[in-house]
Amino acid sequence: MESGENISIVSDANVRLWQRFKAGESAALGQLAQVHYRWLYNYATKFSSDPDFIRDAIQELYLELWERRDNLSETAFVKSYLLKALRHKLIKESIKLKRFQEPGQAIFDSACEDMPIESQIIADENSHFQTSRIKGIIKLLSKRQQELIYLRFYQNLDNEDIANIMGLGRQSVANLLHRTLKDIRQIWTPAEFMWALLLFSLLF
Amino acid sequence: MKDYRFQTVEELATDDMFRTWVIAPTPEISSFWLNWLASNPQKSADVYAARELVAAVHEIYSDELPEAMLQQEIQEIARLAELRKNGKPSSILQVINKPIWRIAAICVLISGLGLAFYKNQNNRAVSTSAKSDIEANDVLIVRENHTTHDMTVLLSDNSIATLTAGSTIRYPKKFTNKVRKVTLTGEAFFDVAKNPEKPFLVYTDETVTKVLGTSFRVKALEKENTVMVLVKTGRVSVYPKTAYERLETKPDHNVAVIVLSPNQQAVFNRKENRLEKGIVIDRQLLSELSDQKELIFDDKPVSQVFKTLQEIYGISIVYDAAALTQCNITAQFSDENLKQRINAICQAIGASYEMVDGRIVISSSGCTQ
Repeated sequence: MESGENISIVSDANVRLWQRFKAGESAALGQLAQVHYRWLYNYATKFSSDPDFIRDAIQELYLELWERRDNLSETAFVKSYLLKALRHKLIKESIKLKRFQEPGQAIFDSACEDMPIESQIIADENSHFQTSRIKGIIKLLSKRQQELIYLRFYQNLDNEDIANIMGLGRQSVANLLHRTLKDIRQIWTPAEFMWALLLFSLLF
Repeated sequence: MKDYRFQTVEELATDDMFRTWVIAPTPEISSFWLNWLASNPQKSADVYAARELVAAVHEIYSDELPEAMLQQEIQEIARLAELRKNGKPSSILQVINKPIWRIAAICVLISGLGLAFYKNQNNRAVSTSAKSDIEANDVLIVRENHTTHDMTVLLSDNSIATLTAGSTIRYPKKFTNKVRKVTLTGEAFFDVAKNPEKPFLVYTDETVTKVLGTSFRVKALEKENTVMVLVKTGRVSVYPKTAYERLETKPDHNVAVIVLSPNQQAVFNRKENRLEKGIVIDRQLLSELSDQKELIFDDKPVSQVFKTLQEIYGISIVYDAAALTQCNITAQFSDENLKQRINAICQAIGASYEMVDGRIVISSSGCTQ
């Protein structure tokens, strides 16, 4: 999933693909959809656990771009724009569908307070750290912080893209990220012993 | 190779080459980073921290989207895009939009209503294939599988029902109501076209199965004590019929319902009037045809492929043979449904399809080679 990152439609092949799309060739839409489909699908799983709902939403997203293709600029197919449009759609749709949702489905979409992690550890006695301590720590972050960590370190987007997607100011993203990483650092005593093991397993 | 100077864990964790090392390392990349570590030992704590961070984020947030499903979705997007192309009358429905045709359609509809009334008087079961053109939309079509093999029934919303021998299905010629309701006696596999606005409901004597778009089997054999619903893809809700009817009158009422995911089944016990959830044990029941065979086409004319499918499924496929003479196909089908197969073919030759009056109608402007 790491390759094909942040495709900007500038290279020759992409220019041709773009022209075919503009000319109304449905296969070109398929190829454009192929580029970011996995990233979009993954992001959507953080809002809904219903694969049908997710596939419908992504399908609709691309078909809307298709229907507006005459007035579309190339930025429409940049990853962060697609993620933003999908996020908007998912939140809108899940509000519409609220009655049918099972509890615990929405992962990122609730607006809750960013509580200090320490108090959450105390609050949540059930959350023991599993294989890796940092995994446990990330799961204790607020929804907003988790989404931030996810967009930064899973989708590998920069602060500007993240600000755009989450509808925040760029400075607030930078601040929140800084604070979140600091929070994590404070309670994360990285497993030095594990590192030594890891290094050995890599060397030999 | 480029000289890496990192200030922070964050910078490391967002560097593409570093991430490749953590997530999908190659021998070259591993040896690069180990060398880098050896010459920058003061950075080792940061490197390990960044490694753990990237690995943890991937473990937490990865999903399991199978490649096949992804490709199917891409094809579906391209297919729907082709259908929604403006300007070109690629479908029969668009032709009907022209006023003169609309008048003609209304005439057919009116005479159809009269005929339907007449038929209802005689209380006769109607078969689709022969005289479907002039029946009104609300008329229920009854199809009974008298043969000894599976029977493929194409519904007006592009859904497909595969009836086992001896089973019967009742469905409207067109789904004009708020829901798509069919009634089943016996056993059938359903591959339902997605339409979140119009749920698809399968009624048996005791259960109601509700879906938005998915594939599953309902087994309601009269001789058995149970009704079974088995899900292949998507999500399916199963209600005891009594509970569903209560829900229709009082929408906020709490009723018994079981929600099934792929590879799960619901068993309704007729004697005890009780629903139970479990895992599908007999995986064979999750395929559309009871004797699904592998099909291989090696650079074959598409007309021949259609002919084979017509024979296997006992359906008719309408296409412009002259336009498709240039179209050849190489494909291998194993456990795909009819719809997936038609989808794949249409995608390959840049065509689209619709189900009209129990037939599959292919629209294509032909292939150039």
